[in-house]
Amino acid sequence: MKLFVNARYLIVPFSSLVTIFGIFQGGVFSWIGVILFGIFTLIDTLTRNIHLRAEKDINGNSFGIKEFQYVVMYIMLPVFILLQVALAARLYQYTSGFLIEKSIFLGLGFESGISFFNLIGATLSTGLWAGLGIIYGHELSHNKKEGFFVSRLIMALSGASHFTYAHVYNHHLDLGHQDDPATAPRGRNVYAHAWLSHAGQSKYSYDLEKTKLTKQGKSVLSFHNKWIIGYLYSLPSIFLFIWSGGVLGLVALIGVWSISNFLLEALNFMGHYGLIRKSGNPVEHRHSWDNDNVFTSWFFIEIGRQGDHHVRGETYFWELDDVGAPNYGIGYFSLFVLTLIPSLFRSYVKHLLEDWDKNHATHDESEISNKFKSLGILS
Amino acid sequence: MFSLFNKQKDRQALINPKTEHKVLIINKGKTLLNSALNSGIDWPHKCKVGSCGTCKCKVLSGDIKPQIDFGYVLSTDEINDGYVLACQSELRSDIEVEINLNNNKDKK
Repeated sequence: MKLFVNARYLIVPFSSLVTIFGIFQGGVFSWIGVILFGIFTLIDTLTRNIHLRAEKDINGNSFGIKEFQYVVMYIMLPVFILLQVALAARLYQYTSGFLIEKSIFLGLGFESGISFFNLIGATLSTGLWAGLGIIYGHELSHNKKEGFFVSRLIMALSGASHFTYAHVYNHHLDLGHQDDPATAPRGRNVYAHAWLSHAGQSKYSYDLEKTKLTKQGKSVLSFHNKWIIGYLYSLPSIFLFIWSGGVLGLVALIGVWSISNFLLEALNFMGHYGLIRKSGNPVEHRHSWDNDNVFTSWFFIEIGRQGDHHVRGETYFWELDDVGAPNYGIGYFSLFVLTLIPSLFRSYVKHLLEDWDKNHATHDESEISNKFKSLGILS
Repeated sequence: MFSLFNKQKDRQALINPKTEHKVLIINKGKTLLNSALNSGIDWPHKCKVGSCGTCKCKVLSGDIKPQIDFGYVLSTDEINDGYVLACQSELRSDIEVEINLNNNKDKK
């Protein structure tokens, strides 16, 4: 059981390596990251009705092995760097005019050179798996030791190092309230949320640094400013892509960052969409949506157990459980597809929000909900 | 770099030495807040991730190991006066700490 509980969270590490291998392999294999995303969406949809509880031994302890899980999460940093290096290598080949031909490296056949079509596949694959890798940046943001720093570096690979501070100091404190940019209010679609949430969290992170440094009598424009430092962590990626592909490299990096940040903000969007908390009241299970079907739980290292996570923010992912939080009833992959069509998503969540208003909301929260309804915003 | 492999010892916290004189054992790798809550002490808290400041307390003696920069939540004066966030504090040595445990009782 212990082996199974720990090994089941390795879907993303192995899939990321397969994606990297595909990009190095070249040809149609450059698309393998996109294809995996599609396959996993299908598996997630087919397993939507299977929900498991967190397994514990007879003493009530989790089977999760902290040392193992942390080593895996730390190893994901070089894995994601390798993912970008793989794409950069392909960009270099494309812009340098490498001939597309079969080659052998260390006894392994691969396609040297790349077509523009397959370069698009490699870019999409990189963006998708860099975005899915954000689950490790999230988990490690709650580890305040070296894990916090690794989280910053993982997020910096997507140009989003501000997330680590904003997530802990803003989102966990203010969720369900208008002061939290990562909470999507009723009526907003995922495309608007991606921009508003990203910019709002970055601004929060800047303001946080400004307030702290002002209190300490230090200059905001200095290397004491973690907001500035965070963006500087992203410079190696920028240099790598410009060096390897010039303007096309920069376009590819913007593409990768756009996809990965869109996935991050889609997770934020799904996590708390339309839920309401009156400022000053404690964060409770009802302020988050759970997405905890079996495949989502294992793939996203239990990030879908949002209800438990937000009440016990210090808890390791393998210990999170079903706590009776509102539940979408489907996994993240399936729900993500729905969010891409806003009218479909609103139609899906309409009855869920009605149920929340009726069975979960406090009097204060119902009053706020009624204000949305008076504006014609029902879901 | 890897705190996973460090050899930290269990420590002891004496809570409110002038009034309640409660002794709390802090196992290695555990925070002051979690140890207190696990021992049944009604320590004020809200977010448990170091962002709200509800669990702040004053360290009278001894040394703690902060897991975050307290400067985001506590003022410079509070930090200089020995205030820490219990949810983000492991112990480097045995400590004496002052906390108003009546805050929670007042709210109930």
